[in-house]
Amino acid sequence: MLIHIIKNEWRNLRADKTLWLVAGLFAVSVAYAMFNGLAWTNFQRQTIAEAAAEDSERYDALKKQIVEYERSAPEKLSRFSDPRDPAAAGRNIGQKYAAMSPAPLASLSIGQSDLLPYYFKISTRSQQTFTANDELENPTNLLAGRFDVAFVVIYLLPLLILVLSYNFLSGEREAGTLPMLLAQPISLRSVVLGKIALRFAVVTVLALGFHPLVFFLIGGGKLLTAEGALLGAVLWAAAIVAYIAFWFALAIAVNAFNWKSATNAIALAAVWLLFVILIPSLTGVLVTSVYPVPSRVEMIGAMRDASSDASARGSQILAKYTEDHPELVQGEYDPNDAAARTYAVQETVDREVQPILAIYDEQLQKQQNLANNLRFLSPAMVMQEALNDISGTGNARYRHFLAQVKIFHAEWQNYFIPRVFQKARVTAATYDAAPRFVWQEENSPAVARRVLFGLLGIIAFTLAAAAFGFSAIRRYSAIGG
Amino acid sequence: MLKAINLTKNYNGATALDDLNLNINAGEVFCLLGANGAGKTTTINLFLDFIAPDGGKALIKGFDVAEQPLETKKYLAYIPEQVNLYKNLSGLENLEYFSALAGQDRYTKEDLLGFFDEVGLRREAAENRVSTYSKGMRQKVGIAIALAKRAEALLLDEPTSGLDPKASNEFSELLKKLSGRGCAVLMATHDLFRAKESGTRVGIMRHGRLITELSTDEIGHADLERIYLENMRN
Repeated sequence: MLIHIIKNEWRNLRADKTLWLVAGLFAVSVAYAMFNGLAWTNFQRQTIAEAAAEDSERYDALKKQIVEYERSAPEKLSRFSDPRDPAAAGRNIGQKYAAMSPAPLASLSIGQSDLLPYYFKISTRSQQTFTANDELENPTNLLAGRFDVAFVVIYLLPLLILVLSYNFLSGEREAGTLPMLLAQPISLRSVVLGKIALRFAVVTVLALGFHPLVFFLIGGGKLLTAEGALLGAVLWAAAIVAYIAFWFALAIAVNAFNWKSATNAIALAAVWLLFVILIPSLTGVLVTSVYPVPSRVEMIGAMRDASSDASARGSQILAKYTEDHPELVQGEYDPNDAAARTYAVQETVDREVQPILAIYDEQLQKQQNLANNLRFLSPAMVMQEALNDISGTGNARYRHFLAQVKIFHAEWQNYFIPRVFQKARVTAATYDAAPRFVWQEENSPAVARRVLFGLLGIIAFTLAAAAFGFSAIRRYSAIGG
Repeated sequence: MLKAINLTKNYNGATALDDLNLNINAGEVFCLLGANGAGKTTTINLFLDFIAPDGGKALIKGFDVAEQPLETKKYLAYIPEQVNLYKNLSGLENLEYFSALAGQDRYTKEDLLGFFDEVGLRREAAENRVSTYSKGMRQKVGIAIALAKRAEALLLDEPTSGLDPKASNEFSELLKKLSGRGCAVLMATHDLFRAKESGTRVGIMRHGRLITELSTDEIGHADLERIYLENMRN
């Protein structure tokens, strides 16, 4: 029985221009989004490659310079540009890049990767100089983002579904075919099921149909061979299917109200606005007002005060520092060593501003946690999180990157700062053995667990809407009123 | 075949159908007459389970409509005032769909075209979109669906209103053909002439009550009109 309904529904849909029109618009949107995404990730990859090239060229030049200077040093050589000076090497001329390369599916969802830095130039300076955790205040920027495939899926795909299904029952009643249909030995629920099943299949094919091509393009002509990419592609498809099911369940629920088609259209547009625009924006506002981040001006002021205060006590601090770190100086130290003093002061300042920074980080973390929980208020937010996560442009992967940067920074400091205190000359070998940043990809089963957990939220919404729809539809009248 | 037992329906306190008792046997054509709002359409909608009765029951082939709607609809064909079909599909596709829903899904294209012949629709029209059909043609598709479905009971709600006399006459002929095959027909109509021509019995309704029942053999056209008007005046 269902098969007859589905077949007839396909004939009807096929004969209607709407399907072809919206399918065409959707295809164009996806193509444009894909182009946008690929352009951005290609730019990122190119930038990272250029940074790496710059690194190694600079290192080659420095090593050459060392050889040259050993033969005859220029007369007026500043110690800040002397490649043999450990302070100069660690702090300025020998800096290295730490970059997070885009994940295999990064072009699908740009997320906040265009707002957050994806590479840092690491030096022996305080970490604050390169990773100030700025607050991103604009919720629209936070939650809307660029025109990428994720945007098309989250914002436009629901509209496509609503255009195809806002009147799937009311339209039949208005055209007078519903009484003809219900004079046959079939239940209204089978009619609903058949009509929605066909539409679901059409939209799913439409939404996922272009993906093999997309994955082909991302894989650079090969279908996703990178590690974790296949799992990502499967998760991506699962998320889209769950999201499609949610919007169809909503269409059933709204159609069950026995309203006119025009009323259904308005109601569904309102629901779209609520879930896709309003709740995400309000969540952004709520999160920042519940956990406001202290003024950045205040933080900078406090850091300045601490720093000028510490600089004034420079010699004292250095003395205490060397006492605390006898291994650095092996008993002897030069109280007039400016470079050593700089690090001693820096360490003190870091320690003193730590509480202020901690409040900052803590508030940001609380914001993040709250936003993470509130995302279950709207399937669109869950979806954004999930798609960002799968594409490796989400918060978790970014924090994973920052943690690695922090470790690398510590390694860097541990490599160069003792040399500053020991006034050890930097040689080509020192440069060769300097720490390198090797990006460690996130563990993909963990990503999958996070994504699937989010999808449970969407599925819960879907089941609720479908259960309501199928139960309310019992009261649906074939003849209106 | 079609039976109403103390069938009653109220709408917001107003009685639309009051204690209707009716029995239509196979081969009979029962015409319900009466002013608008007399309860004719309510009766048909009750037999279709489109509305639930407030009292009594409607039976089709002995099955209670409210209790076993899907069972009763197997034997039932329905032709409303407007046979509304899927306009973007052809008449043939519509016929195929509705008869398949009724469980008759083994017809070949030739079988289906045979029904078109039977109801007097040109085969060339079968492949055209229904949006190009006249009302008379759509009503004929309605009959073709009833034939294809092998309906044993037919419910018609003013099926000939708005048809020109020739189309109306052709429709009545088809109706006779169906009842001749043993189909029980219940038709609501305003057309006294048509009721006398194609009906075996007529019933006159007023304010939800069936007030008079006549056999069409016993009366002439003029008698029927006189009796109808008398009943309306009281």
